[in-house]
Amino acid sequence: MKTRRHILKSSTAMIALPALESLGFRRFASAAAAAAPPKRLVFLGFGWGVTDETWFPDIKTPGPDYELPVGLKPLGRHKKDFSVVQGLWNKYSVEGHAGSTWWLSGANKFAQPGQTMHNSISADQVAAEQLGVNTRFSSIQLDDSSGKSGGHGPGLSLAWDRNGKPVAAFNDPVKAYHRLFSSDETPIDVQKARLAEERSVLDTVLENAKSLQRGLGKDDNEKLNEYFQSIRDIETRLSKEEKWIGVSRPDAPIDEPRSGLQGKEEIRLMYDILIAAFQTDSTRVITYRQPGGQTLLDSIGINVHEHDMSHYITTKGEKLAASQKRDLTQSELLAGLIDKLKATKEADGSRLFDNVALAYGSNIRTGHHLTNCPTILTGGGAGVKLGENIVVPHNTPLCNAWLTMLHGVGVEAERHGDSTGVLKQIIA
Amino acid sequence: MNRHLPVILLLFFLINPCLRAGTSLVTMPAKHKALLESHCTQCHNADKQKGRVRLDDLSFTIDDVVTAERWQKILDALNSGEMPPDDEEPLPNEAKTNFLDDLAHSMVAARKLLADQKGAITMRRLNRREYKNTLRELLGVEVMVTDLPSDSGSGNFDTVGSNLFMSANQFEQYLSIGREALDTAFAWELSAAEERIWRYETEEISKKVAEHVEWQTDAKARAEKWIKAVEKAAARPENAEIVAKLRKEVNNNENNFRRLWEQIPGAPAPASFGFKSIENDADKANAASRAYWLPYHQYYLEQPATDTGMYLAIPAEHPSVLDNGTVSFLLPWSHPAGVSWPGGNYIVRFRAALTGDGTPDRRFIEFGVNPRGGQALSVHEVTGTMDAPQIIEIPFTFPSKKAERADRSLYLREKGTQDHYLQTRRIKNESKDEMEIGMGRTFALWIDWVEIERVPHEDRPKPPGLAALDSTLVLDDKAKVPAPPIEAVRSSLTHFAKEAFRGKEPTPKFIDGLINKYQTRIKAGDHHAAALKESLAIVLSSPMFLYLAEPSLETKPHPLSTTELAVRLSYFIWGSPPDMELRKLAESGELKKPEVLAAQTTRLLNDPRSRDLSDSFAYQYLGLDRLDFFQVNLEKHPRFDNSTKLAARNEIYETMAWLFRDNESVRHLLKSDYVIINGALAEYYRIRGVVGDQFRRVKVPADSPRGGLLGMAAVSLMGGNGEETSPVERGAWVLRKLLNDPPPPAPANIPQIARLSGQVLTTEERLTAHQEEAQCASCHRRIDPIGMGLENFDAVGAWRTEDTYIVKDDNGKPVKGKEKTWQIDPSGQLYKGPKFENYFELRDVIDQKVDDFAKGIAEGLIEYALGRPVGFSDEDLVASIVSEAKEEDFSMRKFVHAIVQNPAFQTK
Repeated sequence: MKTRRHILKSSTAMIALPALESLGFRRFASAAAAAAPPKRLVFLGFGWGVTDETWFPDIKTPGPDYELPVGLKPLGRHKKDFSVVQGLWNKYSVEGHAGSTWWLSGANKFAQPGQTMHNSISADQVAAEQLGVNTRFSSIQLDDSSGKSGGHGPGLSLAWDRNGKPVAAFNDPVKAYHRLFSSDETPIDVQKARLAEERSVLDTVLENAKSLQRGLGKDDNEKLNEYFQSIRDIETRLSKEEKWIGVSRPDAPIDEPRSGLQGKEEIRLMYDILIAAFQTDSTRVITYRQPGGQTLLDSIGINVHEHDMSHYITTKGEKLAASQKRDLTQSELLAGLIDKLKATKEADGSRLFDNVALAYGSNIRTGHHLTNCPTILTGGGAGVKLGENIVVPHNTPLCNAWLTMLHGVGVEAERHGDSTGVLKQIIA
Repeated sequence: MNRHLPVILLLFFLINPCLRAGTSLVTMPAKHKALLESHCTQCHNADKQKGRVRLDDLSFTIDDVVTAERWQKILDALNSGEMPPDDEEPLPNEAKTNFLDDLAHSMVAARKLLADQKGAITMRRLNRREYKNTLRELLGVEVMVTDLPSDSGSGNFDTVGSNLFMSANQFEQYLSIGREALDTAFAWELSAAEERIWRYETEEISKKVAEHVEWQTDAKARAEKWIKAVEKAAARPENAEIVAKLRKEVNNNENNFRRLWEQIPGAPAPASFGFKSIENDADKANAASRAYWLPYHQYYLEQPATDTGMYLAIPAEHPSVLDNGTVSFLLPWSHPAGVSWPGGNYIVRFRAALTGDGTPDRRFIEFGVNPRGGQALSVHEVTGTMDAPQIIEIPFTFPSKKAERADRSLYLREKGTQDHYLQTRRIKNESKDEMEIGMGRTFALWIDWVEIERVPHEDRPKPPGLAALDSTLVLDDKAKVPAPPIEAVRSSLTHFAKEAFRGKEPTPKFIDGLINKYQTRIKAGDHHAAALKESLAIVLSSPMFLYLAEPSLETKPHPLSTTELAVRLSYFIWGSPPDMELRKLAESGELKKPEVLAAQTTRLLNDPRSRDLSDSFAYQYLGLDRLDFFQVNLEKHPRFDNSTKLAARNEIYETMAWLFRDNESVRHLLKSDYVIINGALAEYYRIRGVVGDQFRRVKVPADSPRGGLLGMAAVSLMGGNGEETSPVERGAWVLRKLLNDPPPPAPANIPQIARLSGQVLTTEERLTAHQEEAQCASCHRRIDPIGMGLENFDAVGAWRTEDTYIVKDDNGKPVKGKEKTWQIDPSGQLYKGPKFENYFELRDVIDQKVDDFAKGIAEGLIEYALGRPVGFSDEDLVASIVSEAKEEDFSMRKFVHAIVQNPAFQTK
């Protein structure tokens, strides 16, 4: 909350820190003698799909000996370290313009009689409930700063909470940076007093909510429950903040980002923040609903409307070229992220890459097509088989892949969304 | 019920005819059983269930989610071409088309049925629009609410409670915006009496041109001297070898040659002639020698009235060097007294004239904020002459003294000259031939001065939120005052909360919490007013403020209390809380009387606040968000500049407001013999005799394509991408918005038609391909003919008779020889409906369907007013509103009155 003046302290240390020896590990060093690096989970969603003809490897050459298609060429140097999975889908998805809303939940928009829109918990939030207990942030959501959710569909981020409500995100790299790394320098007792004051604000509005509730019928009560839930969420956050009082925020392994960057540069920045957040063990679960539409196109000098681009198939020409250039840009960015994941060392000498499970894709394949959702899995954190073109039976639930990843990073879950079981084909 | 929908409605009536709850059924027509039996059930039956799908026991009545999902699967499998499998006999094309048509519509109907709230109205929070309005009514200030979710765009109106969520993040936004609103309101109140005026004489800009000309002339002379000196040195015989080498290096480019002056023995340094630059001083000297725009600037100074004002020029130099294309003026930071100018209501005023040297279309001046990036806020027609210039006034709200520089920078410029640098470049290229000097452009507009005036508002009645505070309380948070007696704080907080809660009493415990906050803040060192604002911000984040609650433990439908009715009414028509008069009538119970309720409805509609209903209904019902999806291609459509787009957008709002104000029939939206336009739009439509910025009613000749929504430029714009038209978008829009026969949403997984790419085809040939595949034809046979009938309007609504298609390469460049031009043939036929020869007949055909349109309007207004989707169980309600409105030829206000008087509006 912005009530009190925070004295922002931002470090400008350029040299990459001896990672993870900072805050997180000192803090938990006593708990486990030789702490293995924690497992982390990342989902990157780009909304609009990809170019059908030039992004997917040939399904006739499954396994490690496949040829990288043009759209994935920039990932060439990492070919042994990621897999493309083909054949996955969310069977309930019917919205050709929503590549992110149901991507991680697999929910049925129409499941709730009497409602025009339904969603359920997303895979990252399932993980956050278990992996987020000991970090300052249970999970971090990043979002396109332009606020135009072209291709993503409804939502505030890729994340949806246990009640199927959208979870808010940092959509400004600068703000995200400060929330992660700018320490509150106010004395501890002042911070405690501030938390107490914030709690008393919550008590006051709760009193008002309760007096309103007294006269309400069942349906209205359910509506008001959203308000109660919001207040509970803030309380949870305050309790967490309380636990962390006196623990200064870690030094930032990166410079404070420049503000106002959009599209390609914003993605690059957010990827850096993602790495920094893991390096400092500020969280173990991150989703990023990255700009995949107009802002990305604008930033790489393409003068085609995003929706026209996604329907390149009827006219091709400059629209197909735009779609392909978009693919290349996205692949370059992902390759850069993998470079950095590999270059970042953990306290035990392993690479951050080895402890991260990353899924990259969209609910939309191309145009309005919702089958064979583009899916790339990378990182060694979940024991996923890497380096292959993995072709699974047509229309296998995407949620099977999410369930497998959840298990891989140690999250207990019996099922997720419309999953029918784990996806054995992707297990190493 | 729309005749196309394969739906049978069975209404079971309850005893109370007013509270009739309906049950309805959606069925897939039985005639399609044959197709299922002949092509599907052999593999999908009780014994054999290929892919674990069984279809022989599938119910043709779709009344639950499970059945809907089974049918959805069939629809998906047929659309994607997955079924029937390749080795089975394909479905006959026509039967498949009809099957898909009916099934797609059945699915839409089934989803609607399953989402039916059966009349139940969920309590809801204020949506973003209402929240903003409510703060304005309570505190008298406008606040920025862009950090909150927009609440529109979910496919329903922004009043539909089930879509209005709350989150922790949002709660924090409410606290923060509430604080901002209180800050602003307190500051406005403290500065209520402040009157300020500041004038800028624009001859200052002319003086800058004169200074620039003087500098340019001098620099050119110096540069020429330097060049001569360099040439002299180069001509020395002993330098011949090195000069030849250098000249060869730069391909004999003299400018670049002079950049190498250091290597020419004897050549003087540009610095000694006064040219200094970071990289190479010669660059400055070379540029000065060209002085390219000097003749244009001299031409400017030759104009007769540069000593008393300025002429709006086409920008030639970089604005940091000289800007005589824009009058930029900053809302002052500081006042002689050292206080920055406060937020409040302002008037921007300027004196201007037409020079007589411009073409007749060049008579508009744009006003806006932030000259570097902002779009014009308004456009103003100038009619004054140099002999009798005219003063134009623009009311302007400046929210807060905290505004940043960009938000304080105001500007005036000639319309349509600086929307985009390509536009400026094109205008320069086009106009230079008309100029004797071969560059620049004539000056059409002259400005004498500009003025900013802050209007004091001491006599404005105190906004109710501030009036609720004890008058002894100090509002200045910088004032070090002793804390007031706590009783005064307590009563202020109590009254404020009651006002904010629309008359509901807060509990003492709630007030205790606020007092506690206040005292904690005082203890922490806050001044009294700052602490007070913290407590008040909590009120503005409390559920009794944020939610429109109609509490009752009654489970059966029951009448609203008169207070609840007053709130419903004022939020319907004003999007803001009831005023004192309405509240009094509610308290006395008078509002229950139908004639009192009707009189209040009329009073609310007559109040300017009713623009909220008119504007937001127009925006949401007609889907105007699409206007901002695309940038207009100004190179292809040069006349449709940003200010014209602004006027075209306002035409829709103003027309809707006109219908509400004058109680005209909604059928005028389909076809009318008048348009609601202003001078700027009349210029675009080439309609003569309309002068001024006010929108007014203008009669159009019988053969004009204008009159009604279809003739509006903004509607044409929405049916395209700013460059080309999209007959599919247009056809679907007409079906959805005008004929109340929405096509099913674009289905997923349909194989797309790729074989046409790169071919030179007319739009019609391209669209015909849609009709080959059953998956496409099932919808496009309805959509495309209508869209083709509107092809005489180009992407920005200008009338045309021919069209061109050019194949483009990967870089978006036209491919030579791959081009085709054709005469537009708008003739066609509505699917299973009447034929039309041209646009005018199509408009008549649509006009004939005014009953369908009126039903759409009625459904929209009901959903908007009740805050819940209209379901099949509302058929009766809809029918009664439509028939009541029809008695008065579908007049706009009759819809509103009929809804307000209906028991559904007065019942929870």
